[in-house]
Amino acid sequence: MKPTTLHDYTERILRVLIHIQQNLDDDLALDGLARIAFFSPFHFHRVFRGMVGESVKSHIRRLRLERAASRLKQGDRPVTAIAFEAGYETHESFTRAFRALWGESPSLFRSNRNPLRDAPAPSGVHYDAAGNVDRFTPHLSKGEKMEVKIETIEPIRVAFMRHTGPYNQCGPTWDRLCAFLGPKGMLGPGSRLFGLSYDDPDVTPPDKIRYDACIEVDENFLAEGDVGVQTVAGGRFAVTTHFGPYDRLNETYAKIMGEWLPRSGETLRAAPSIEFYLNDPESTEPEDLVTDIYTPLE
Amino acid sequence: MAATEKVDLFKLHRKEYASPKKPILVNVKTAAYLAIDCQGAPGDAEFQEKIGALYGMAFTVKMTRKFSGLKDYVICKLETIYSGPDGGADLGALPKEEWCWKFLIRTPDFVKIGEIEKAAAVLVEKGKGAACGAVKLERIGEGRCVQMLHVGPYEREHETIALMESFAAEEGLAFHGKHHEIYISDPRRVPPERLKTILRRPVRAAEK
Repeated sequence: MKPTTLHDYTERILRVLIHIQQNLDDDLALDGLARIAFFSPFHFHRVFRGMVGESVKSHIRRLRLERAASRLKQGDRPVTAIAFEAGYETHESFTRAFRALWGESPSLFRSNRNPLRDAPAPSGVHYDAAGNVDRFTPHLSKGEKMEVKIETIEPIRVAFMRHTGPYNQCGPTWDRLCAFLGPKGMLGPGSRLFGLSYDDPDVTPPDKIRYDACIEVDENFLAEGDVGVQTVAGGRFAVTTHFGPYDRLNETYAKIMGEWLPRSGETLRAAPSIEFYLNDPESTEPEDLVTDIYTPLE
Repeated sequence: MAATEKVDLFKLHRKEYASPKKPILVNVKTAAYLAIDCQGAPGDAEFQEKIGALYGMAFTVKMTRKFSGLKDYVICKLETIYSGPDGGADLGALPKEEWCWKFLIRTPDFVKIGEIEKAAAVLVEKGKGAACGAVKLERIGEGRCVQMLHVGPYEREHETIALMESFAAEEGLAFHGKHHEIYISDPRRVPPERLKTILRRPVRAAEK
């Protein structure tokens, strides 16, 4: 299946939304959901977040809480049972999450006569007891239009170091890689530094998140110790620039994958996106950082 | 934490790198800089090559120290001092190809010339550009200067410079010496209207 239109992308995400509705009691792992939508696991979470306007995890959590709300209003099952069905192990954590969404506690919500209200949902998709999704409006953020150009790049041979853990803790890995390559003359003029991130930080356990810090090297460089060598595949890429802190890269990803891509007529390639870092984060204020994001296309 | 012990000259000398929206007077002490000279129009091939060489050297020197367990520091921002070929500061009438630049990255005093020569040798040997060999260590001190943040394209710096000059006159001072600027934004991607640059001009008492 080769999706080329907004309609195709919408259909694919809709299939996932319906699957979530009908299987709210299941584990709903990211890989399975990605398969339902025919997306590579590298990209699925970003396409979803971009098109639905919330992450997979937040979407599932909200639907489970909406279901809990409707169960509170209808019938007299104990709150603890409803909390458990919503995926909360304690009454307290359920109450906290519930209050954050509706501004009142589950028991007050049950006893008052106010009608059931929908929680805010960017996509307009709400819990439906019959498991239907009859409305889904692909999210379009406000603000400046994103500039994207298509570029074809050659394969890049790199020395890399694998960081396992939250993305924002990759600094020491970069320090070690640079201190290893610097004295060998690999940080000279025109050196390209970039990162490859493999996992959705929203659903992957922090100790399982994988990231490769990469620096371009020539043919003579050989792997040594925990510095490996790999060749990053070349090909066509959608290129856009992210301005600002690294911890907001996910917003630009969501925009390119969820808003630009479905309207572009392009298809994603199953390879991680590449982040080219254009400044030194040590001496640049976070809001002045500039990062080029390369999203692989067929 | 090691990170907090790092020497960051830009933060350490915050007063010298003030970036006010209106002109102010600052006092810039003598300091060491990695430096490379260049003649040409902004953005031409030599210009790009020399900036690349300076950054390549800065990172190689820093990371070589780090690898050897020597004192670490934050690499400062790119600065440039420029003038006409005769050293004159009035560039308005000169073709851009004749402009003379000195690109600078401020560097801690503990970095020695031997480290710079060693880094240059490694980079030249790796074929990373002969220009690396032209990077020197220079000590520069401008003393009393007028300084102000310019926001916008480089082509409109003259508007900010005019404000700085009239401020200097009000203070009984006059420009002398070369124009100096410190780049806060990355011109490769930041749109010209959002570029932030600190402009600096040495001053002395105006002749009566």
